[in-house]
Amino acid sequence: MKTNRKTHMTRKLAIFAAVAIALLLCAGTASAQDWFKTGTGLGVSKVRLAVPEFGLRAPAPPALEKTFHDVLWSDLEYCGILDLVSPSFYPTQTPSQPSELKFADWSNAPASAYMVAYGNLSVEGTNLAAAGFLSDVHNPTAPIALQKIYRGAATDADARRLAHQFADDIVAKLSGGLAGIAQTQIAFVSSRSGNKEIWAMDYDGSNQHQMTHLKSISLTPRWSPDATKIAFTCYVPFRGITSPQICIYSTASDRLISFPRYRGSNSSPAYSPDGSQIAFMSSQNGDPEIYVTDAGGGNLHRITFAAGVNTSPAWNPKTGKQIAFVSDRGGDPVLYLANSDGSGVEKLDLPDMGYSVDPSWSPNGQLLAFCWRRPSGNFDIYVMDVISKQLVELTRDAGRNERPSWAPDGRHIVFESNRTGTLQIWSMLADGSQPRQLTYQGQNESPNWSPR
Amino acid sequence: MPRPELASPNRVVDESKGLYKSEPPPKIPEKQPDATPIPKFDRLKAPKYVTRPSKVLENKAPPPPNAVPYGGGGTPTVPYTSFAMGTGTATQAGMGFSNDAGGGNFGARFSWYVEAVQRRVSSNWIQATVDPGIQFAPRVVVTFDVLKDGTITNVQVTKSSGNASVDTSAVRAVRDSTPLGRLPAEYSGSKVGVEFWFDYKR
Repeated sequence: MKTNRKTHMTRKLAIFAAVAIALLLCAGTASAQDWFKTGTGLGVSKVRLAVPEFGLRAPAPPALEKTFHDVLWSDLEYCGILDLVSPSFYPTQTPSQPSELKFADWSNAPASAYMVAYGNLSVEGTNLAAAGFLSDVHNPTAPIALQKIYRGAATDADARRLAHQFADDIVAKLSGGLAGIAQTQIAFVSSRSGNKEIWAMDYDGSNQHQMTHLKSISLTPRWSPDATKIAFTCYVPFRGITSPQICIYSTASDRLISFPRYRGSNSSPAYSPDGSQIAFMSSQNGDPEIYVTDAGGGNLHRITFAAGVNTSPAWNPKTGKQIAFVSDRGGDPVLYLANSDGSGVEKLDLPDMGYSVDPSWSPNGQLLAFCWRRPSGNFDIYVMDVISKQLVELTRDAGRNERPSWAPDGRHIVFESNRTGTLQIWSMLADGSQPRQLTYQGQNESPNWSPR
Repeated sequence: MPRPELASPNRVVDESKGLYKSEPPPKIPEKQPDATPIPKFDRLKAPKYVTRPSKVLENKAPPPPNAVPYGGGGTPTVPYTSFAMGTGTATQAGMGFSNDAGGGNFGARFSWYVEAVQRRVSSNWIQATVDPGIQFAPRVVVTFDVLKDGTITNVQVTKSSGNASVDTSAVRAVRDSTPLGRLPAEYSGSKVGVEFWFDYKR
């Protein structure tokens, strides 16, 4: 590769010959390896993408087409890496397959699109098929970046699912392999049924459904890394005694899985990134401390040894060797970092007073989102780079904002806020932009974003 | 009979001058001065500012005859790929490469893939890990190969910035990005080489 480049620098003719020979030979031999150059200064640019409405192939209810397009548009607009071209700039003729795409119409002003996502929907009987295409309109000779047919039933739910799949594929193509989150779920606590129960919904707030029916209090849901289980804090009476305990709910079998009961109060469970261990707070020996146990409940051991409350453990999802937690050993409850065996405790110093709670790691294990109550009395979401201890404030002047949780793509954060007057679930991009409300009914809190 | 003459040794010092002169006292050699004087370092201080001619303002080389003046060209017609390089903070930001630049035509055919790689690696570049005292670092060039399934291998720093923390942050940005997206299905090769540069400026 390198010699190839150097040859080019000195002898351009020679490389022309080499390229010609390489083209004559079967492409892909070791001697004709392709390469490209790129680089970065500061900042990341967004792709300008046009998403015309899908054409309808067979007579189909237009409601399906509208659902598909609305969901696709919403997914792409909210994915964080795209800049959607406003539909008012689109050419009048919308393509539904690659042969109908007129590149210049889309790449020139006013659309000025870089890529176009388009396709068609067809309904045959009860089946819905969506053919999705993604083309680079600046390169008429370039092959289509993505062409795929998504199949499902001709229902509103499946139209939604197909749109999510197409959106995820587009995001994966354009972000360099990091798939989107359109098919992820958010678990949260809602009291709309009368009791605080664990609910789940799609990442965009649709399809909200109740998961637990314990008719008591359920708090702090946390997904297992394979998204088949949710660990949470439950108040299930046992022999006449009601105390907070750790419960585990299986989303696959739709019921609770047995987990040991311990003395005292037990709360705020968190799965380790490999799913083999659970860290939680327990006061079984008097002081509320953090304990770690196997996912089945065996091999219980204590990892914090400090007077005061130690709670809200959160494993570093990248390494699994670090736990962030909250402790009031120094007075106010603030964030601490420790190794997963409890050694190397380090206080995360903040440049102001107040208390900081609800740690949540970004998927790359480098950023920590948390809620910080500053002396001004505001509760706001902050993100800290744990290496350099730099802080970014994500919410401001909008009620109380608490309990952040990162999305698996590292670009979104879900949190609870009472900015509308009631406690509701909101999500936003990880830079604080594009906040949007996901729940409206009752009081909803403590969201947790599912792994992919 | 007379006694035989006895030769008695004369104990008196003979005052006559001998045949030989006594040796002169040994000469103590004089110390030679050093051939070169000890340099005085405070005189060798570098000037505080080095003035170099500006390549932009003082480049007297005439433009090539087929050059289009700045701003007068419109969209170039050659198939090339250019990248938006952030917000003008990178000093030597603009770059492009053409179809015949010796790298095959991967960049021209799959420019969306090139941009996706750039976006992914850029977003993984944690500049906070660079030494806080560094305001600016020369360009780091990291090369690596992308396999068919998007795995990054063979990460090498081919041009160092001269600062280890900048180089390390660049390599980590690349390593954190694996796996990238699959290489496009239309691409027949087994891997693609990438030369990725990083301009650090605080």
